[in-house]
Amino acid sequence: MTHSIITLQGNLQKMMVLGLLGLLLLPFNFAHAQTPEALKNFQQCKACHNLDGAELLGPNLAGITQRRDTAWLISFIRNSQEVIASGDEYAVALFEKYNKIPMPPHNLSDEQIIDILALIENGGQVADEYLAQMEAEADKGAEADVARAAELREKELKLAELERDANRNFGTTFIITLIIFLITIIDLFVTKAIKATFVHKTVVLIALVIIGEVVYKEATALGRQQYYQPEQPIWFSHEIHATQNKIDCLYCHSSAEDSKSAGIPSINVCMNCHNQVREGKVTGTTEIAKIHDAWNSGRPVEWVRVHNLPDHVYFNHSQHVNSGKLDCAECHGEVEKMDVVMQVEDLSMGWCLDCHRTTEVQFANNEFFKSYELMHEQFKNGEVKKVTADMLGGGDCMKCHY
Amino acid sequence: MEQKYFRSLEELKLDVRPETDNKPLGDRQFIFEMQQELKKSTTASRRDFLKVFGFTVASAAIASSCEQPVRKAIPLLIQPDEIVPGKASYYASTFFDGIDYCPVVVKVRDGRPIKIEGNKASSLTQGGTNARTQAAVLGLYDNSRYRQPQAAGKASSWEEVDQAIISQLNAIKAKGGKVVVLSGTIISPSTKAVINDFLTQYPGEHITYDVLSASAMRHANKLSFGKAFIPAYHFDKADVIVSFDADFLGSWLTPVEFTKQYSKNRKLTSGEKKMSRHIHLEGAMSVTGTNADKRIQLHPAQEKQTVAALYYELQNLAGESGTKQIESPVDVKAIAKELYSKKAKALVVAGTNDAETQLMINGINQLLQSYGNTIDTSIQLNIRQADDEKVQQLVADMNAGKIDAVFLYDVNPAYDYPEKDKFVSGLAKVGLKVAMPVVEEETAPLADFICPDHHFLESWNDAQIKTGYYSLAQPAIRPIFKTRQAQQSFLVWIGSNLDFRSYIKQYWESNLFAQSDNLTFTGFWNSKLHDGVFESGQKETEVLTFDSNAALQAQQNAKSGNADQMALVVYANVAVGTGKHANNPWLQELPDPVSKACWDNYVSVSPKLASELGLKEFDTVNVGNIGELPILIQPGQEYKTLSVALGYGREKAGVPATGVGKNAFTQISFASGHMQYVRYDVSLEKLGGNYEVARTQTHHSMEGRAIVRNTTLEDYKQNPISGNEIREEIKKHLKTLYPKHQYDGFHWGMAIDLNSCTGCNACVVACSAENNVPVVGKEQVLMAREMHWIRIDRYYKGDEHNPDVVRQPVTCQHCDNAPCENVCPVAATTHSNEGLNQMAYNRCIGTRYCNNNCPYKVRRFNFYDYNGADAMKGNEMDPAEMTTDLRRLVLNPDVTIRAKGVIEKCSFCVQRIQEKKLEAKTENRQLRDGDVVPACAQACPSEAIVFGNLNDKDSKIARYYKDERNYHLLEELHTLPSVGYLTKVKNTTV
Repeated sequence: MTHSIITLQGNLQKMMVLGLLGLLLLPFNFAHAQTPEALKNFQQCKACHNLDGAELLGPNLAGITQRRDTAWLISFIRNSQEVIASGDEYAVALFEKYNKIPMPPHNLSDEQIIDILALIENGGQVADEYLAQMEAEADKGAEADVARAAELREKELKLAELERDANRNFGTTFIITLIIFLITIIDLFVTKAIKATFVHKTVVLIALVIIGEVVYKEATALGRQQYYQPEQPIWFSHEIHATQNKIDCLYCHSSAEDSKSAGIPSINVCMNCHNQVREGKVTGTTEIAKIHDAWNSGRPVEWVRVHNLPDHVYFNHSQHVNSGKLDCAECHGEVEKMDVVMQVEDLSMGWCLDCHRTTEVQFANNEFFKSYELMHEQFKNGEVKKVTADMLGGGDCMKCHY
Repeated sequence: MEQKYFRSLEELKLDVRPETDNKPLGDRQFIFEMQQELKKSTTASRRDFLKVFGFTVASAAIASSCEQPVRKAIPLLIQPDEIVPGKASYYASTFFDGIDYCPVVVKVRDGRPIKIEGNKASSLTQGGTNARTQAAVLGLYDNSRYRQPQAAGKASSWEEVDQAIISQLNAIKAKGGKVVVLSGTIISPSTKAVINDFLTQYPGEHITYDVLSASAMRHANKLSFGKAFIPAYHFDKADVIVSFDADFLGSWLTPVEFTKQYSKNRKLTSGEKKMSRHIHLEGAMSVTGTNADKRIQLHPAQEKQTVAALYYELQNLAGESGTKQIESPVDVKAIAKELYSKKAKALVVAGTNDAETQLMINGINQLLQSYGNTIDTSIQLNIRQADDEKVQQLVADMNAGKIDAVFLYDVNPAYDYPEKDKFVSGLAKVGLKVAMPVVEEETAPLADFICPDHHFLESWNDAQIKTGYYSLAQPAIRPIFKTRQAQQSFLVWIGSNLDFRSYIKQYWESNLFAQSDNLTFTGFWNSKLHDGVFESGQKETEVLTFDSNAALQAQQNAKSGNADQMALVVYANVAVGTGKHANNPWLQELPDPVSKACWDNYVSVSPKLASELGLKEFDTVNVGNIGELPILIQPGQEYKTLSVALGYGREKAGVPATGVGKNAFTQISFASGHMQYVRYDVSLEKLGGNYEVARTQTHHSMEGRAIVRNTTLEDYKQNPISGNEIREEIKKHLKTLYPKHQYDGFHWGMAIDLNSCTGCNACVVACSAENNVPVVGKEQVLMAREMHWIRIDRYYKGDEHNPDVVRQPVTCQHCDNAPCENVCPVAATTHSNEGLNQMAYNRCIGTRYCNNNCPYKVRRFNFYDYNGADAMKGNEMDPAEMTTDLRRLVLNPDVTIRAKGVIEKCSFCVQRIQEKKLEAKTENRQLRDGDVVPACAQACPSEAIVFGNLNDKDSKIARYYKDERNYHLLEELHTLPSVGYLTKVKNTTV
């Protein structure tokens, strides 16, 4: 069953609340059933059906109420497969005609379906009396949009700052210092323009310090990729998926809890939603189409790895996520706010060890740690207030290098 | 009492020299090698140095200025539920290659098999393995595998090949021609059924050809019991084992199972006061012989007479007089007495392929009431089914042009058939020749069609090793190449559209399902596929009665052979065996448990014969036209017995096997219809050359220290500390000013029971597979640069001509007071809070101080880049083609691949420790004893290695450490090792 996550996350609650509301209002506005709620519910239909024009996955809906009676429509919309299984001729023919793509069942009440049908009769427009109400809501939405835009700007500034850090290059400093250094040396031995040698000595000394500092900084950064933000083959936004649609990290990176590798979701995971969601707000169909291309051609997407560790480092996600109870963001930063993923931490050994030295392990709560009898005693006595990974050997070489 | 050991003859002789000259030979030899190597490299001039230096600086500059490479992360298209990236899955399967049978569990990481473990569900092998089973996973990634079908030597497609074969088969059938399927022993009932189906459609015959034949044994049992079969043996039930040259711990019948049984009755770790007694009579030194409590040298020509005499003595003891007295070349009276006193708990076996000897062995076992006790005739061993006469007949028929089609499955007679020229000429006369090999071999190119078979890790299969003992094999990976399982090919050729998996399922449903207590077949199939084994408890229903006439007749006929003539014995060693796995670099580099030689075969000569003939070590000789081979002086070898290992001298096997050693199969002869692995009409021709054999042990001397301690069972019963008395003395002197390490939580330790270790080398290969230990090649081994993290030291004791042999597996001792740790200038090797001596490869700068300071010589230095881990291609040293993309698939992704210039060593399989700790953490439980098993301990068929947490007072390891037999290697140095050894106990009780 391929329920759209968005449907589940976004609409279900609202549907239930508004559904109840709708029920209360039912006797009063039966004639004008084209409610805003029906418009919302109608979004589900629009994933596969157009009103008129080009056909999508299913038939166009204009004139549907003339073609079929309401009772049939209700049962078909609620569970089309049941109707087809019952041998209903029209339903079977329809199923055959549209390439046997099943219409997923919809958890809608009779009234809600009737409302949607009314909306379709009205050309997909809500009744006039709701327009004002909707405008007001749209204003509210606009306010939210403004707030969000501000937030985005802030985020962008922060990322830009990070990027500046990343691009901060000591190259110019290095070359200038080197030139000064060389000139001084030449002057000291060859040209001898300045007679007082202490000048040379001071300049050389300072130059050496600067050069040393630059070399040290550059050398430590060697092989590290902080602020690495490669372009991915698909413009995939964690912001849209994780923040706006509130998809949990583990929905896609499912093996983070029980494997060394967190896992890049396979295409079938993408297709769970994108089977239905075929158009995005920002990129339209172009990016989502790439998933469908991969799915249809059988060639998986070649993502670019952002977080790399050297081969001589053993890192296990499950160790940190499952037994360490760490949040993803502690190492990966606020990925849910990134449109393009960037490596926020430098993933250096010093950074690992810092955390191992300060982070408390689940010492009292995990049976495993009972083996550390001495530590347990000290913990009980109060000699040790907090047990960190480092205290249990988390700083040993062969905990990560083997 | 200090006992005198020596490691090699040179050492023994060296020790006789005056004290002043008593320098360890190993060092001198090493210096010599270094000088030689230096000589080789002195061509480099100053300019070369500058060039190299310039290049290094330039490449370092480029490497550092380069941007990081873009790494891809490519997910699956559809990820199956059971596959989690980065997490291993395990599949039960079965390894059978004609010699070894072993139910296994295959570890698969991200879709590729990387390790083979024994299957604990099997009551036969109980999780044990041997070297070849462990190494089989590398065979999957053999560079010389056939990658697609071939017709007349040209690449073809399956459609074309099938069409051609079917049309030719139909033509043969139409004219009434004969089709022959020539295969090695098949223990798979389904495969047999497929071949049967095939031969029903195309009339012909299935002939089994075994390289190591037991056809005389089947023949003898036919005469004794009226049925040609091999019974099941129970070495665990025998208190006295007498073996006439049966290498049951190495190559005889089912060595893994026998090692398990054998060691069971020789353990003293749970307070036992008894163990089996093993008497071994043989000419050449075998791994089994070196484990015996008493090894008697016996010229192969006198074996028959000796067996007859033993039979006679037993008849006497049993009061069955009437036969005439038989003189024995060696004293068998005592053996007979001992055997008879342990009647019904004794077992006599013989390895020979001589029917008369086997008949007398049957007679002896009957007298000793072994049948029904230590030998079970109601369970049949399905191994070695070949009838040598039929194979001979086939070759004759082929030469006579009577065979129209031959299908070669799992055989390579153009290499290993004794009269291979006859076979090749006969094969040329066959109209349709189809070969179904896995890897490149000598026979396949002679065939019209090559229809490459899957590797066993890509195949479905089943096996019935014994009556009632079934197992299944399932693919652990999708076929890598365009190969097709041989059984599937047979099915295609008979026009069936069934796949072999369904065929096995159908076979199991109709034949085996009824024997189970499962309600549904699906339930039965799934559970057996999961377990890998199915033990139905079924037995042969036929009632067998023993008829001693034939045995008595054989005894009458037995004549003493001439012990003055030279005997040439050919044998399968524990590494390459019969040469089928010769192209496996792990096996080529595996040192022989007796001679410690690798990468070659050689002629083993007794010290007495060598001095008589004026032969020195490594002098080249020609014996029986094998070709030029070096000699190795082997203490313990019978005076006139020469021995050469089979399995070498491959002509078409790929790198590294091709051209390694000489083919000794030519020395096998047919006598009274059975293949004979010993020859008498040989001459030894001195060729005057010199050829050095690479050995992993000769480089260091023992310097008279009590490294291996042993005692006798009698002494042990009197006083359990016997042989280990010196430990108390040493302990008194162990004083320190420094505080001891405190281990809170875990303190890992290992104990090795020297009484159980047979020297089979399974641990060495298992360690290589688990820890990405590189293969360095012969040249490097000659320079003592082998990389094995675990080695098995072998010491001789006593008489040079018939020494006692003891063995000692040595890994990093993980000393609590480690000499290596103090000397590292960059702190690359440190001590962990769990007692591990850690090695951080990326911190190591290669000073080798630690290597020099380690008294155990367990640290290994990467003189080159052997695994292709280095960025600089010039560092690579790859004599065995281990750096190809295909072979690199076997690497364990959880263990770093070491680059050139760093030290490495045993880590106690820290990746396994960490994995199990994490597992316990996530399951919110304490770590249990036995959770963590290093690769060596897991592979060991005799459970000689125990690993665990010394802090856990109830653990097995803690119990072993409390044992009076426990001692530590070079304890007097106060290194405080975390590896303990339990004294070796020999049962000399008569």
